[in-house]
Amino acid sequence: MHDALFQQLINWLTLGCIYSLLALGFSLLFGVLQVIHFSHGDVAMVAPFIALAAVQALAAALGGSAPWLVLGLACLVAIAAVGGLGVALDRLVISRFRNAPAMMPLVATVALGIVIRELIRHLYPQGSNPHAFPAIAQGAVPTPFGPLPLISVVSVLVAVALVGVLLYVLHHTPMGMRIRAVSQDRETARLFSIAPGPVFRNTFFIASATGAVGGIFLASYAGVVRFDFGVQAGLIGFSAAVVGGLGRLGGAIVGSLLIAAIETIVQGYVPNGTSYRLVFVFALVILVLIFRPAGLFGVQKMEKV
Amino acid sequence: MQTTTIQAPPQAAPRSAGSAAIVLGVALAGAVLLRQFLLAESWITVLALLACFAVALVAVQKRPLVEDRIVAAFGQCRPLAVGTGVVLALVFPWVLGGDSYAMHLMIIACLYAVLALALNFQLGSANIPNFATGASYGIGAYASALLAIHFGVSFWICLLVAAAVATIFGFLLGLPSMRTRDSYQALVTIAFGIVVHQLLMNLEWTGGANGLVGIPSPTLFGHSFNDPITLWGHSLPGQANFYYVAVALLGLAIVSAQRLHSSRVGLAWNALRDDEIAARACGINVTWFKVKAFAVDAFLAGFAGTVYAFYVSFISPDNFTFLVSVTIMTLVIAGGMDNTLGVIVGAFLLTMLPEKLRAFSDYRILFYGLVVIAFLIIRPRGIFPQRVRNHEH
Amino acid sequence: MSIDSHPTHHAATAGPLVLEGRGLTMRFGGLTAVQGVDIHLAAGEVLGIIGPNGAGKSTLLNLLTGIYQPTEGEVLLQGRSLKGMAAHDIAGAGIARTFQTSRLFGSLSVLDNVIIGMHARTRCGVLTALLRPAVSRAEMKRCAERACALLQSVSSDLHQRRNVLASSLPQADRRRLEIARALAAEPRIVLLDEPSSGMDDRDTDALIADIQRLREGNPALGFIIIEHDMRLIATLPHRVMVLDYGRKIGDDSFEAVRRLPRVQEAYLGRKASHA
Repeated sequence: MHDALFQQLINWLTLGCIYSLLALGFSLLFGVLQVIHFSHGDVAMVAPFIALAAVQALAAALGGSAPWLVLGLACLVAIAAVGGLGVALDRLVISRFRNAPAMMPLVATVALGIVIRELIRHLYPQGSNPHAFPAIAQGAVPTPFGPLPLISVVSVLVAVALVGVLLYVLHHTPMGMRIRAVSQDRETARLFSIAPGPVFRNTFFIASATGAVGGIFLASYAGVVRFDFGVQAGLIGFSAAVVGGLGRLGGAIVGSLLIAAIETIVQGYVPNGTSYRLVFVFALVILVLIFRPAGLFGVQKMEKV
Repeated sequence: MQTTTIQAPPQAAPRSAGSAAIVLGVALAGAVLLRQFLLAESWITVLALLACFAVALVAVQKRPLVEDRIVAAFGQCRPLAVGTGVVLALVFPWVLGGDSYAMHLMIIACLYAVLALALNFQLGSANIPNFATGASYGIGAYASALLAIHFGVSFWICLLVAAAVATIFGFLLGLPSMRTRDSYQALVTIAFGIVVHQLLMNLEWTGGANGLVGIPSPTLFGHSFNDPITLWGHSLPGQANFYYVAVALLGLAIVSAQRLHSSRVGLAWNALRDDEIAARACGINVTWFKVKAFAVDAFLAGFAGTVYAFYVSFISPDNFTFLVSVTIMTLVIAGGMDNTLGVIVGAFLLTMLPEKLRAFSDYRILFYGLVVIAFLIIRPRGIFPQRVRNHEH
Repeated sequence: MSIDSHPTHHAATAGPLVLEGRGLTMRFGGLTAVQGVDIHLAAGEVLGIIGPNGAGKSTLLNLLTGIYQPTEGEVLLQGRSLKGMAAHDIAGAGIARTFQTSRLFGSLSVLDNVIIGMHARTRCGVLTALLRPAVSRAEMKRCAERACALLQSVSSDLHQRRNVLASSLPQADRRRLEIARALAAEPRIVLLDEPSSGMDDRDTDALIADIQRLREGNPALGFIIIEHDMRLIATLPHRVMVLDYGRKIGDDSFEAVRRLPRVQEAYLGRKASHA
């Protein structure tokens, strides 16, 4: 196998897994809860900033020793914090639009995204500038096909593990069952004493935390993070979830891999491809939606007449 | 979702004097408020004026009889209302004392009001999410700019051609959106917007990321729009030319909105918004009407784009991003969906407010986001919610 | 009130055939909702369709109105095949309907709801509305006047409340409004989908009276009524068609049909029919 091809495959898988982490959050929220949350991408990108701040605080506390421990702890702190942030945002803003016509939460969460980005910009020192983000894993493993970057290995493993955990939680735990019940029919679930409040809280936490992992890996992969990365991350995550079919976790993963494939191919093989990659990605999105208006695996809701 | 506003059948209100007085009073009050707002220097004045406006608004809306009386007055004295509006619009730059910054704000506000009215056909009347209005705006702007720079086409012809080009784009956008709904449809329009933006960024003949410069100034009967307007010894800065064009465009948009809203087309859009299946059963070709909404939106947005391009004489892709489309959406929703006046007021308010609060300078955008959220929580139906049509004049 | 307390209108109508459905079949994947159903309706005739739940009545209605395209068979309106026609075109061709769950345009007034019903009979498009506003206004005015008159003829109470939001109407009025909207299209046939569902006896009697009045005012208008309420079925229709598991098991006057063993079996089960 060509070295170059191998590299492209690795790029594709890594990117696809990172996008999956973002897309899963969207799919969970949009699809499972019918919650429109356009600021999910921005919420996810808060995580790298918290991680950076935590790294500095912890490094100061631990006096420069055990850098991996510091980074690891910082990431965990960030993930937990962002999970909490998601829940808080729901309580404060998003929940108010639970029963409003669809345009309201859409615009509200778009505005929320603006607020989050501006808060990052103002609260983080020198927020307007891009900041270097440390690599989660450095170095590469030599293989017969070429060097295999550790960051890719870690990304893929973590993504797969997370998806596995997510599926397990959804299908084999009481909380997951409650989430699925509420997603099917909120009122009936209530009749069976499934309070929607905790369900929404848990789903927001899970979705935001998963997104946080995605955000951290994205920052690490790019090597840099900026306050407005959330816009593009959110758009791509949302697109991946929609292309796969909102609410279908498997679809979100397929959608992410598809988009990552387009990006990798265009960047690798189309002249001047890097600047055009978004054109191809979103052209693909349009094409998919023309032929499958509810996404690749989505179910077209049939109204009973 | 709908509050059940039972509207009493319109009464034959006492005509002429009372109604005329109401029309003139409201129009003048609005003009004065606008003028003070535009010329206000300190943020305290700005907030005070806003508070006045809010208080007046809430007071009127809490008294439906008063509100109905005002609306009836405008309905009865339509020629007077239109005439007053035209006179006020003509005189306004003079009243502003030639303040070019204030006039700049008015021009931008008018353009955004046009964009919001354009989107209102889709979003307000038909409840179709469309995140690509910014792209239509951009296509109009770029089409004009390219025609003017490379072929020396005059501003007036550019207006029509660019609007036509944008309309074609609107049709193209409408077609894949036919089968999609809600979030999926939103994504199709987002995708179109991004594709257009990226193409503008990367294609050479659109100037790439640097955009297009040197768009020539329009001329009308030999008078260049760069030159100041002089009347009886008083003169207005060159911007006033664009102000009049922008206001004229806004007038055109208002007329279009009213005509469509009160026609069979506007009713059909409302019908398919409420219940597509029932709309089909009434003979409405839902798909075709949705596409028409896209086309009308793009047409007006294209017009606005031309005016903008010639006004600033330099455009770049970053003037027409996804966030611009989102802003336009916010204007419609905050102003009041499917309500012409609401949309215009919303546009004016949300366009001028960040500019007037320069005291907050760097915090402007943050403030803007917070205001929008607060607005949506407090007044989810917008400043001026939708009104029931009145068939008895 | 017993079933026989309403005068029945069984005058033989020898009008021309307005609607014909031949061998209508609808398959959704593995499920056959409607199987080889023949249906016909003459001008001025009232056809009732009854059957247990899930018998395919609504599906049949959706086939006639173009919401579904039949897997087999075709529908003819005044001899013209409706094959492949979209729902809105079929509505324009002369088939109007109401829905089981009243589908009104809730954010619009009662009057506007009726005016929308006239959509297929009006013509102003975007360009006309923008460039020739006088024409558009005149058309809208004519529609408003006609709608007023129509409302008045259906229910003077509704006429009084014509500027009220449709979403604020009580159930019986919603049905009436739907019927008014259907009539606004000047159809050849009106299909009523369980018009009395959700109504009590008094409302149902009023509904029966309303429909009878409408028939007197529009003698050439054909009606197809899907119903469960036997009072309505016994009084209004000239003929009653019975569906069960997607097949037609009876098509005759109500008296004849209610005695058919197959029909009794469908409703009551096998044991009762042997009782």
